[in-house]
Amino acid sequence: MTPERFEYVAPASLDEATSTLRDLGDEAKVMAGGQSLLSLMKLRLASPRYVVDLGRVPALNYIRDEGDAIAIGALVTYAELKASALLRERCALLPRAASVVGDVQVRNRGTIGGALAHADPAGDLCAAVLALDARLKLVSTRGERWVWAGEFFLGMYASVLEPDEVLAEIRVPAIAGWRCAYLKAARRPSDFALVGVAVRCRIDGRACADLAMAITGVSDRVFRARSVEEALNGRELETALIEETASRSMDGVDVSGDIHASSEYRTHLARVYVSRAIRAVGAISGPPTPSV
Amino acid sequence: MRIRVRLNGRTVEHDVEPRLLLVHFIRQVARLTGTHVGCDTGNCGACTVLVEGKAVKSCLMLAVQADGKDIVTIEGLANGGGLHPVQRAFIEKFGVQCGYCTPGMIMSACALLASIPSPSEFEVREALEGNLCMCTGYEQIVDAILHASTLDRGHGGPRRAPQAPHGRLGHGPGDPGRASGTTEAGHGR
Amino acid sequence: MGDSTRPLESDGVFVTSQWVGAAVPRREDARTVQGQARYVDDIDMDTAHVAFVRSPHAHARITAIDTRDAEASPGVLAVMTGRDVAAATNPVAPRGITASVTQYVMAVDKVRYAGEPVVAVVAGTQYLAEDAAARVHVDYEPLPPVVEIEEALAEGAPLVFEEAGTNVLLHDAFEHGDVAGAFRGADLVVKETFRMPRFSSTPLEPWAIIAQWDPGTGAFVVWSNDQQPGRTAINVSRTLRVPIDKVRYIIPDSGGGFGIKLAVWPYIVILCLLARRAGKAVRWIQTRSEHLLAGTHTPEALIEAELALARDGRFLAIRVNSKENDGSFVHTAGIYPLIKFAVIVGCYGIRATAFEFSTVVTNKAPTVQNRGVGKPGMTFVLERLVDLAARALDLDPAEIRRRNFVRPEQMPYTTPTGEVYESGDYPECLRRALELAGYDEWCRKRDALREEGRYLGVGIAAGIEPGTSNLGYYYISRGRPDFLGSVEGAMVGADFDGGITVVTGSVDAGQGHATTVAQVVADMLAIRPEQVSMSTHFDSATSPFAPHSGTYANRFNDVELGAVVAATRKLRAKMLRIAAFVLGVHERSLALRAGTIHVEGDPTKAVSFQEIAAYAYKKALLLPEEIEPGLREIAYYQNRAAKVPRREEFNIQLTHANAVHVVVAEVDVATGFVTLPKYVIVHDWGRQLNPGIVKGMVIGSTVHGIGAALYEEFLYSPDGQLLTGTFMDYLKPVALTVPRFDLGEMESPCPTSPLGTKAVGEGGAITSLPAIANAVEDALRPFGVTVTSLPITPEKTLRAIRGARVI
Repeated sequence: MTPERFEYVAPASLDEATSTLRDLGDEAKVMAGGQSLLSLMKLRLASPRYVVDLGRVPALNYIRDEGDAIAIGALVTYAELKASALLRERCALLPRAASVVGDVQVRNRGTIGGALAHADPAGDLCAAVLALDARLKLVSTRGERWVWAGEFFLGMYASVLEPDEVLAEIRVPAIAGWRCAYLKAARRPSDFALVGVAVRCRIDGRACADLAMAITGVSDRVFRARSVEEALNGRELETALIEETASRSMDGVDVSGDIHASSEYRTHLARVYVSRAIRAVGAISGPPTPSV
Repeated sequence: MRIRVRLNGRTVEHDVEPRLLLVHFIRQVARLTGTHVGCDTGNCGACTVLVEGKAVKSCLMLAVQADGKDIVTIEGLANGGGLHPVQRAFIEKFGVQCGYCTPGMIMSACALLASIPSPSEFEVREALEGNLCMCTGYEQIVDAILHASTLDRGHGGPRRAPQAPHGRLGHGPGDPGRASGTTEAGHGR
Repeated sequence: MGDSTRPLESDGVFVTSQWVGAAVPRREDARTVQGQARYVDDIDMDTAHVAFVRSPHAHARITAIDTRDAEASPGVLAVMTGRDVAAATNPVAPRGITASVTQYVMAVDKVRYAGEPVVAVVAGTQYLAEDAAARVHVDYEPLPPVVEIEEALAEGAPLVFEEAGTNVLLHDAFEHGDVAGAFRGADLVVKETFRMPRFSSTPLEPWAIIAQWDPGTGAFVVWSNDQQPGRTAINVSRTLRVPIDKVRYIIPDSGGGFGIKLAVWPYIVILCLLARRAGKAVRWIQTRSEHLLAGTHTPEALIEAELALARDGRFLAIRVNSKENDGSFVHTAGIYPLIKFAVIVGCYGIRATAFEFSTVVTNKAPTVQNRGVGKPGMTFVLERLVDLAARALDLDPAEIRRRNFVRPEQMPYTTPTGEVYESGDYPECLRRALELAGYDEWCRKRDALREEGRYLGVGIAAGIEPGTSNLGYYYISRGRPDFLGSVEGAMVGADFDGGITVVTGSVDAGQGHATTVAQVVADMLAIRPEQVSMSTHFDSATSPFAPHSGTYANRFNDVELGAVVAATRKLRAKMLRIAAFVLGVHERSLALRAGTIHVEGDPTKAVSFQEIAAYAYKKALLLPEEIEPGLREIAYYQNRAAKVPRREEFNIQLTHANAVHVVVAEVDVATGFVTLPKYVIVHDWGRQLNPGIVKGMVIGSTVHGIGAALYEEFLYSPDGQLLTGTFMDYLKPVALTVPRFDLGEMESPCPTSPLGTKAVGEGGAITSLPAIANAVEDALRPFGVTVTSLPITPEKTLRAIRGARVI
């Protein structure tokens, strides 16, 4: 299957990219790695008039130590995230989530910026940046603005990114020594998450602190598991509390259903994976089959 | 649009429509038909080639995106000295049945061995996540790649990346996430 | 090698034993690993491209088609509608069904499934053809669809084919032995209703065709990846209204078959029409989306079955009622039911069988013969019943099987319906599998781990893998024997330089036929395999072929090799005659060695193959008159074990391998996910010709079964839309989700195949389904779960654990 005709623009700088987008308006679609967009275009489910390829903007490919944060250019690939020694040491959640996105080839092309801008409701990195309280830099000819990951995702494939904006950078906190986990339930490893749970926290004495959890694959967008965070922060992570918290973690969530998992099953699976993710950061072993 | 690529060490220059997929550029423009198409959605990996030393699916890339890049296809592996060790190993271990997945499998295997010269069986299977084979059940392919990792390097060996990778990223030693057991895929081994 | 000199036995097949049985590397692979294989789309030829407009509705009347925009689209050469097809062709001939219905190779006035081709467009490139196809406007008047079996059978259901007056296009019932008496006298009857899913083995290369038309001769040349050119020649010529010689078929390398490519021919008809219409060669490479959407499925089945037993666990009779959803293509409808007779009693001495079936048509995609054709489902049902019986009687699943196996001393064994099991030792096969698996140890481990909250189960299944179809079988219900047995042809010749060339009537889709044929011929002529040339490509202009010709039903090792052996014998005999003349001795005093024929005991008195060839061609005038010039011999072969089918007695297939699979499954009872930590196969493959190839076939086939058992299913919405239309949603096993296999050895030669071989291509796909199901059910015994359907998805499994009790 083949894409419909489009016009191709490959700006060489971020400035050129934003002015191109300003000129072309919403008939343009930004392409980074193209691993989602090209699939949709081949199936002719997406037929943009213009494709603006960011791949020629070298200034968007970096992973930089900024002291209490790490700055990541939008064009950094999953493979690069996975392999980054800096991230592994100081923000391990991101490489962990990146390592289970798609397969090797997809990880070699797909980018963090593309993944977030696509706002896939089952995106692995979407959950990771949300749990990390990452900040995203959106740039247009009107200027630049920073938004929190928590403000970024609006719904299924929808974000606050305006048609003339480029997601240029992602800043994640440097949290060396923190506990973190990304657990993904999928029929096969390279599939989209039926449920993905990203979590990070500190253990302060015996109590859990600054725990943040984001869940993907479950609803029309990734979301923070606020009830879990509230229930666990300041408390010691022990089995009864974890089970109790996990069992209520999907309360009030509008859980989606599809051919791979009904809403009912996905709700159950999410509870199990919330429990397992907390156990993972709490280093709590136990029966492999918690009775959530 | 006029594009120019290094294809198996040879410069190829051609006018292409922006929508032309890299796999069609390789097959129809450059007439290298060893790279195959097995699906529409980037799932099967039959179209895997190396771009700048990394395995990518050429059906999920536009030809124009490859402008200025170095590409190696299955036709570019064997050199004057004979078959690449991975190619030899696929023959010796009966890693081929219908052969349609084979070029993509071999390119994925070469990329793996360039970054992990002596992979475990798990690492081999993980590296093939993006390559479907309908005939073999994978076992003889996995065995071939493990075998290739032991073959001599007279040819340049499996440790020779078919093209030197660029930059320092993307060639780390394995996967800390899975090794620590904190990520999981529900149905894995 | 070739240094072994052995006297020629008058009735022996081989004169050396160097190659047959050795893991000779495949000669096909050097090209393949370098990207030099040539599949249809690799053919370097100036062609236009075809794209199809397919129905978005499952069931609708076509009220208008406007092709003007498409015709004006850049690069368009031709546009063709279903009505154009109907005007130029005959309707499709049904194969299995008895109802009288009319259908063409494209939709005419009415569409019967979502994805049915409605309009075909030819343009300069694939891109332009797809652009133009999007500009065809079709108006539909939707009709109520029938999607599932139960809907199609309901009173007043909409009809897929109105003229049939019913959605059941074939129904029949058979009884062999005293079934009623057996059930009356039974101490126990286990009964269950099973569901087999709609799935497919999905070769990695989809269907592919190039068609060329010569206006001067009116003849076509077709390149395709068809699996059965013999039948295709008949079907295409009949449908296209041209004599068989007017279409030449070339089959280059093929990217996998598995039965799926037995149904390419309707599209060959379409491509021929388009080539004639466009005045240019046309190319159609099916997309994966088309492949999954439109016509490559195994029918799903609803099977009620019961097994009658004596108190001691002996099986007395089996009764089966099978309803299959064959979708909407009359040619292939009804070819799944009867083949189940090949395995209906499995490895057991069951003496009475009752089988009733209904072929149901619906607004789902057409079905096609998929690896094992009906036998995976039948074996799933039987082996599930056996486990249910073992549980009811509190017998070990291995023990109940032992008590019922056909015993080796009963071989050859004839089943109640007439199937003949030629050889085998089923108890020994089971013993080896259990030993290799460490069965007792796993059972102990299973029990111990349950204390820790882990749920493992051990599953056993024993299966029959038949080979070589007696193709007349599906005419049993139609009462008109046709297409009997299975015939194959081969030409084996010496070239002018003494090299040996083989051409067969069959095709290769990854099985390594040329490698194996070269091994066989080398040992028949005391040469090296490299001296035997065999094209992997089929060409109807040069290949000796029969209507049965093709690669399916595990027939290569039987009839194709049978033809090769027969032709090689003829060639050898003639070469001996010429050598005897040249050397001035009697043929009986000759032996073969390393490409020469010499006087036994005196290798110096020898004549080379090259010299013999020179006598046969260039110097034939020197030969005595009774030796005809030339050295190319053609032979046709059939397996004589085929019976002319009668309702009372018939054999569906002509060789019978058997296998035992022992599987360990672990279920994560919190999520329902299943993993397979151990997988053991002992497959009695008869004589192995090439162990490297055989191993790959057995494992690859088994992974097809794992796909069907755990992952794959074509799901439809209630209005007949396919929901699993890409490889993102139709889940194939990947390298990480399949286990490593332990294979045992077992070789009981088959007395009726020419070289003692048995089938290996389908047994894995047949036996794995119940083995995995039995293992999962064993793992979930504490929850009282019964497995009655496939695939065993995590969600179904979890629901069963949490109270539903049925997967």
